[in-house]
Amino acid sequence: MYLVADISVEICAAKSCKLCTQYCPEANTIQYSDEMGKDRGFKYGSAYVAVDRCKGCAQCVWVCDNMAKNNAIKMIMIDQLPMAALTDNITYGEKSTTAVLASPVVG
Amino acid sequence: MSLDYVKFSNGFEKFMPKEYRDMVEHGPFGKKVSVSQMGSFKEVLEEHPMCAGCAMTLFIRLAIIAFPNPEDTITVGTAGCGRLAISQAAIPFVYGNYGDQNGVASGLSRGLRLRFGDKPKDVVVMAGDGGTADIGFQQVLHSWFRRERFTTIMLDNEVYGNTGGQESGMTNRGAVLKMAPLGKKFEKMDMLQMAKVAGCAYVATVVPNNPRRVESVIKKAVLIAREVGSTYIQAYTSCNIEYAIPTDKVMEDAKTVENDRYQFTEYVSEEAKQYLTERYGYKEFLAKPAAPAAAIPGKA
Repeated sequence: MYLVADISVEICAAKSCKLCTQYCPEANTIQYSDEMGKDRGFKYGSAYVAVDRCKGCAQCVWVCDNMAKNNAIKMIMIDQLPMAALTDNITYGEKSTTAVLASPVVG
Repeated sequence: MSLDYVKFSNGFEKFMPKEYRDMVEHGPFGKKVSVSQMGSFKEVLEEHPMCAGCAMTLFIRLAIIAFPNPEDTITVGTAGCGRLAISQAAIPFVYGNYGDQNGVASGLSRGLRLRFGDKPKDVVVMAGDGGTADIGFQQVLHSWFRRERFTTIMLDNEVYGNTGGQESGMTNRGAVLKMAPLGKKFEKMDMLQMAKVAGCAYVATVVPNNPRRVESVIKKAVLIAREVGSTYIQAYTSCNIEYAIPTDKVMEDAKTVENDRYQFTEYVSEEAKQYLTERYGYKEFLAKPAAPAAAIPGKA
């Protein structure tokens, strides 16, 4: 098993700084969804991680902790994540993306 | 080299992979995108085999987003880590022999001007410090002396990272590396000064821990290279493997190095300033209104 980044929607949707989306070295890995926080009553949308693309470098964790000071991202073993976003389940819209969460580990 | 090549061929749409469909329908081609929209559109760069947490990858990702017209851009590279990511983007990539990337780009840039006339087609060279300052040095410098109109970007990781850690001309004096165990005995090459002497119209240093600045620098360099002359960007993109930087500390290192020896500098020639202001509406180079005489301390 290996580590991937996991973003807390509760913290992210309250701040919505989007810094992690700009500092991830992998393309289209940390995505942003306008609906992910708003559908739970938060002010903004939230960033989320396409775990099949995440290489586990934890650069986003440093950026979230030290630059944004939000502490919303943690590294988690992929089999400890019950639900996560995968590239195949991400749909692009005009200004944002939507993700249908699914179990990242098959079998 | 136009929006036509990012369309589906009739009848093939349903057979294309999801990533390709996303790129055609929600990519940056024909639109204006910026780093503030990252995570909301399909990027031109795809998955690539570069190391986890590599700052060079982040820089390449930002640079590709910053291209003013990605559908009218060709990238040129050479051996080195960078080409592993640059070649995984939906932008034509020319892989030169080691060191001849600026020669290839010179021919390409001239050929595109002959073929397409005034329609801008951008050529951007992205090569490592070894490809630019050591092995490709002669071709790089000559392309600048000839005022070839394309952008040269040095991905400066201060080491030959792809071949086990030999010192390059851009390695700092005293740096001890796996294949340079006694430490480097010479100073880091001053490529910025050389670029100015050789007549580059735009010279800048940048570190990827400021995405908006990377975007602004790349845009200016590519636009100036369309008509004014050669442009050069030197980007610090640390090698976390050869310099043993933990991946979650890569941005901290970038910040430290930026404060230490890689402060943001920008040189824009007078002709380039005028061009950006008149052609693309840049306001930062306009003459500032003179302050009233009474407001200047020490003047009666």
